[in-house]
Formats: sequence, C-alpha cells, structure tokens
Amino acid sequence: MLIARRNLFRDRTRFLLSVLGVAVSIGLILLLAGYRSGVYRQASAYLDHAPGSVLVAERGIRDFLGTSSTLPAGAEDAVQRTPGVARVIPIVSQFVIFELHGRKDGFFLIGYDRAKGGGPWELAEGREPATDDELVIDRTAARQHAIAIGDQIRLLDREATIVGFSDGTTFWAGSIAFARITTLESLLRTPGLQGFLIVTPTGGTSPETLRDRLSIPGSEALLKSDVIANDRKLMARVYDAPIGLMVAIAFVVGVLVVGLVIYTATVERRREYGALKAIGARNRTLYRIVTMQAFIAAVAGSVFGVGLAYGAATGLMAWRPQFRVEIEPAAVGVVLVASVVMALLAALIPARAVARLEPAEVFRG
Amino acid sequence: MSATGLLARRNLTRNRVRLAVSLGGVALALSLVLALDAIFAGVSNQLTAYIDRAGADVWVSQAGVRNLHMVSSFISASVTDEVRAVDGVAEATPILEATDTVAAGDERAVAYVVGLPSGASMGGPWNVVAGSSRAGRGEIVVDRGFARSAGVSIGDTVTVLGGEARIVGLSEGTASLVNSVAFVSFDDFQAMRGGAAVVSFVLAKVAQGRSPNAVATEIERQVSGVTAQSTADFAAQERRLTMDMSADVISIMNAIGFVVGLAVVALTVYVATLAGRREYGVLKALGARNRMLYRVVLVQAFLSVAGGFLAGLAFTGLLAFVVPLTGLNLELSITVASLAKVALVAALIAGLAAILPIRQVSGVDPAIVFRRGALP
Repeated sequence: MLIARRNLFRDRTRFLLSVLGVAVSIGLILLLAGYRSGVYRQASAYLDHAPGSVLVAERGIRDFLGTSSTLPAGAEDAVQRTPGVARVIPIVSQFVIFELHGRKDGFFLIGYDRAKGGGPWELAEGREPATDDELVIDRTAARQHAIAIGDQIRLLDREATIVGFSDGTTFWAGSIAFARITTLESLLRTPGLQGFLIVTPTGGTSPETLRDRLSIPGSEALLKSDVIANDRKLMARVYDAPIGLMVAIAFVVGVLVVGLVIYTATVERRREYGALKAIGARNRTLYRIVTMQAFIAAVAGSVFGVGLAYGAATGLMAWRPQFRVEIEPAAVGVVLVASVVMALLAALIPARAVARLEPAEVFRG
Repeated sequence: MSATGLLARRNLTRNRVRLAVSLGGVALALSLVLALDAIFAGVSNQLTAYIDRAGADVWVSQAGVRNLHMVSSFISASVTDEVRAVDGVAEATPILEATDTVAAGDERAVAYVVGLPSGASMGGPWNVVAGSSRAGRGEIVVDRGFARSAGVSIGDTVTVLGGEARIVGLSEGTASLVNSVAFVSFDDFQAMRGGAAVVSFVLAKVAQGRSPNAVATEIERQVSGVTAQSTADFAAQERRLTMDMSADVISIMNAIGFVVGLAVVALTVYVATLAGRREYGVLKALGARNRMLYRVVLVQAFLSVAGGFLAGLAFTGLLAFVVPLTGLNLELSITVASLAKVALVAALIAGLAAILPIRQVSGVDPAIVFRRGALP
C-alpha cells in the first residue's frame, strides 16, 4: 500500500485538485441539505425551548405557529386541578404585521405571563416587558430594521416601546417577538384571552397519560412533539417542492462530480498502473492500489468538504442571520457513504480496462 | 474553422479523458446552475401568475392597496362604471377577492378566492383542464393540484368563505408556493360576505394603442378613493412583497448553487488545461507564440462551456418537462436572462481557469520545455 500512497502523493497538484473537487461537491450537498433542515427547525424554535410536553389548544387546532386559538374560560383552572399536572403556562400566539421604513414584516407575537413563564429563553439585551405597551423583539430583526432599545414601533393600532432583544428567535418567515399576555388581550379586544396552555406533567406521569387525562370541553390536549411535527409539516408542504428538488439535484450532481473527479484521476494514472502490470504486479494488487487511492482521495476530500460546509454555513448565517443552517450528522453520514461508494466505482471502471490488458500492450499507443 | 480552432478542437477530442473531464464537469456544474435558476424563476413566476394572466391591463384597487398578497381591498361597486367612463378604458370587470382557506376533508389550503360576475371577460381561470371555467351559484373552480392532494374532483364539495361549494372545474397554473387561486360566482361571494355593494378590484382593458400607465394615471385622476396601476407595476409590487416574505428562502439556495457550480466549472477546466501542459510546451518548442497558446486554451475552454451548456440546458429542459408530470406543485421556467447570465459568467470563469495554468508554460524558454522540472 506504500506504492498506492507514494504514487498518489507524488503529483501533489493533481492530488490536491482531486481532493478539492470532491470537497466542493460534498460541501455543496451538505450545505443545501443543512439549509433545508434549518428552514424547518426554525419553525419550532419557540416550542422546542418552552418547558412542558403537552399543549392544550382550542378544539380542532393541530398547529401552533401563528395560529389563533381561543380557549374556553376556566380552561387554565381545569387543567391546574387535573392530577399529574406540575406546571401550566398560558400563552397567546398571533401573527402580526408591522410596517417600518415602508417595508412590511411579520412577527409571531407571543403573549405570556412573566410570573408563569413562556417568555424569551435567551434575553440578549434589555429586560422583559413590564407594561402593556412594551415589546421584546428578536435581535437579528432589530438589527435589520435598525431598531434600538427604547425605539417605538407601530403595532396594529398603537405604539409599542422595544425594551429588550432576544436571541435564538430568528425565523425567515417573521421572527418571534414577546409581549405581556394582557397586551394581546387588549390588541385582540378579548379580555381573559388564552390561546394555548403548555403543560408540564409531574414526575411519574408520562406526557401521553396526561394528554389522555386532560379532557376540557371545547379544547384539545396534544403532545408538544406532535404539534412541532405538524408545524414542520405545514412548512414542508409549502416549501418542500422547490427546496427538496434543489437538494436532490445538488445531491445527484455532487455525487456525479465526485465520480468524475476520481475517474479522471485514475485514468490519468493508467500508464503508471500499466507499468506496474508490466513488471509483474497481479490484477489483485492493481485493484487494491486503485481502490486505496480512490479511498484516500475521497476521504480526504470528504473531510475537507465537511469543513467547507460548516465554514460556508457560518458565513451564510453571518451574512443573512434570519436563516439557520443545521447540518445533521445523519446527512453527513449519507453523503460520506454515497461519495466513497461513487469514488470506488469510478476508480474501478478504468482499472478494469487496465487489468484486462496484456502487460506487453500497456505501452503501445 | 481557423487553424487555431482546429488545433484546439483536435487536441481536445484526441484525449478522451480530458474531454470527459472538461465536458462532463462543466455539463454537471451547468446543469446544477441552470436547473436551480429555473426552479427559482418558476417559483417567482407562479407568485404573480394570477395578476399576469387575469387579462387586465390596469388594476384598480382601494386607495393605497398596491398588491394582492395579505391585503384586502374594498371599493364601492359604483367605481366599475366610473372606471368604464374614463377615456381610454375599453372594458372594465369588477371582481371580489379575499385570501381564505379552501378545505376538503383534512386538506386545507390557502387560496386567493375570486368572485367573478357571470360573463366576465377578465379575471377568470385561463387554463381549465376539466369541467367548466364558469362557476355559477354554489359552484367553484379550484386548482388541479389542490384537488389532487385533497382527493376531490368535479362534483365534490369543498368549504370556502364559510359556506360550501361544488367543484365544477379544475384549472392549471393557478397555484404558487404560497397559495392557489379558486373561482366562485360574484353573487355567492357577495352573499357570503354580507351582501354589501362593494367590489375588491376593477380590472380594466385599455383601448387599442393606449398605454396602460397613462390610462391608470387618468383613472386615478377621475375616480376618487382608488389606486390604479398597470398590470406590470401591480405584479412588480406583488413580487417584491412575496419575494421578501417567502421566496428569499429559495433565492439563497439558488445563490449557493450558482457559486458552487461556477467553482466546479473553474476546477474542471483548470484540471483539463493542466493535464495538457506538456503538449502546450511542445507547441511552444515548435515555435508557437504565446498568443497562439492562449488562443488554443481559450478556444478549448469555450468549447467545453458550450458543450456543457447544451448538456445542462437539455437536462433542465427535461426536468422542466418531467417535474409537472409528477404532481409536484412546481413549475420550472427557463428564462433568456438566466441562460445569458449563466453562459456569460461560465465562459468568463472557464477562460480565467484555462489561462492560469498556461501562464506558466508561456513563461518557459522553448528550448528547455523537455527538460525535467522545467514545467511546474
């Protein structure tokens, strides 16, 4: 195997170019696949971070994001009294559009009660809203609109003061903002409004058991994980046709480029393999050398490609912070296996041609 | 073909491996770039499909309303006659429009629901593939993609605007990334919304030879409380808003694909040229001038880009044909602007990538080309 390595590294430029070719392809696939995951992951940021595992919503409601749900009066007390309930967080979720510098933008506004929880999980600057005309908004959105703490923005029929910035609440379809639940009550002209209850079961009570136990008229108990899945599915139904197709094209093209790069690199060494054969190397040795070289180039390229994808993802998120790229380990695994398999196939095709040659024919034009 | 061109072509095709790299690599890369561009263009086209295809030259709306998405526009029903009376207007049709959910079983989809007066010459579906294009009382024309995913067809009932309507027609090309368009009768729409004598938009056709922009200005001057825009302006406003809100997601992916695709083009052309260094050295030793060397590699790079471009175009064309058949709510649109942009940038990048390795050859003394180590 020393021959394989030495022969491979002797022409460093060629080797580096092969590695680069593989790396760029792998980087492309991972970046786009990670981007797709990020697009859906962002949709569940709030529920992912909210404590609790069961959601109580108006009957018939299956998703959370920007959904107006109205619970019947007394639902919170009824849930509170149910055995196995440790904590109840009432919130209101509402999509609101505000206008700034002539550009419309949307917020997924969450109304919460500070004493009960459900507010921003990562307050980057400032404080939580203490009165009904105060808001905490996403830091990235604030930066994009050049909003500073203390600024006022128009929220439906009133002015609201920004008192804090939160992190982790960026979402390309409109970031998450926070206000007191009473702010939403008056905005939506519905005193005592509660949209959802996020319920934490006591230790020893499973979320499924609690869900089945919570039967409050006019409402419905759902597992938080199911609601998250529904939100992502809703997002996916809208965007998966174009995004999924783009990722699929990138995958096919990327893997084929890996194949092409390795194929070329192997064919270019045909003469050298022929020489090995002429001096008596068996076909088995030849295949082993070819496989080894393809494997080294593919693995080196893949590792570099994974790095490239992470680097590009960081760059992309710095450039457009409202987007998130989530490179998932499973995707990395699939891409690595696919590219190594492709590389080996691409190397063995030209190697077979050499193996079939008579040693004496090798040097004939 | 000139001598240089012939030499470039022969040299490129003689070595099959090099041909495979440069053509194959460029073809794959350009397939990626062109296909992603076509998806993006298709998505943005769909966003304004209704505005573009409604058949109007001018859109008249409530004052200040400049687009369709996420807005509501209500103007007095008498505006239709006022618009009709404006000089330069050949025809005017009122429509009612609201963004609503169309539901069938478990399937719920957001749609622009359009209420059309009977006999309307504008604003209706433009490509009805089954059934009728006219919705009477209690009837609706829905997008075929919606019908397919909801598992309903002509004769079935859907819930819309708080009531029920029977499907009488299926239309194509009326769905975008964000929503589809459904057509009901004007009277139904009005009844479901309380029966007030209002309309959402008045669609106007201008008389032959009149400019839509001039007529729009005239309408705004003569009719109070309305905004009038040419279809092109109205569509541009709509596109700007919906792009901001939703299609940005796709434009980023397109940008990534573009950059990576060009990197692959550069890489493959560079590798192919590098592999031929020795031959260019020989050319030089035979007395070829540097200018000639550059011309040979440039012609080769352009031949690769041209071949790869055609392959990429064929791939994208095939994809554009196949994707709609799969039932995906997606249309691929190959635009001249996209082709020109890709061809130009790819040729430029390939040219640079070809010149880079040849610069080393051109700097070498012809006499020492064959000496070991003379070429890097």
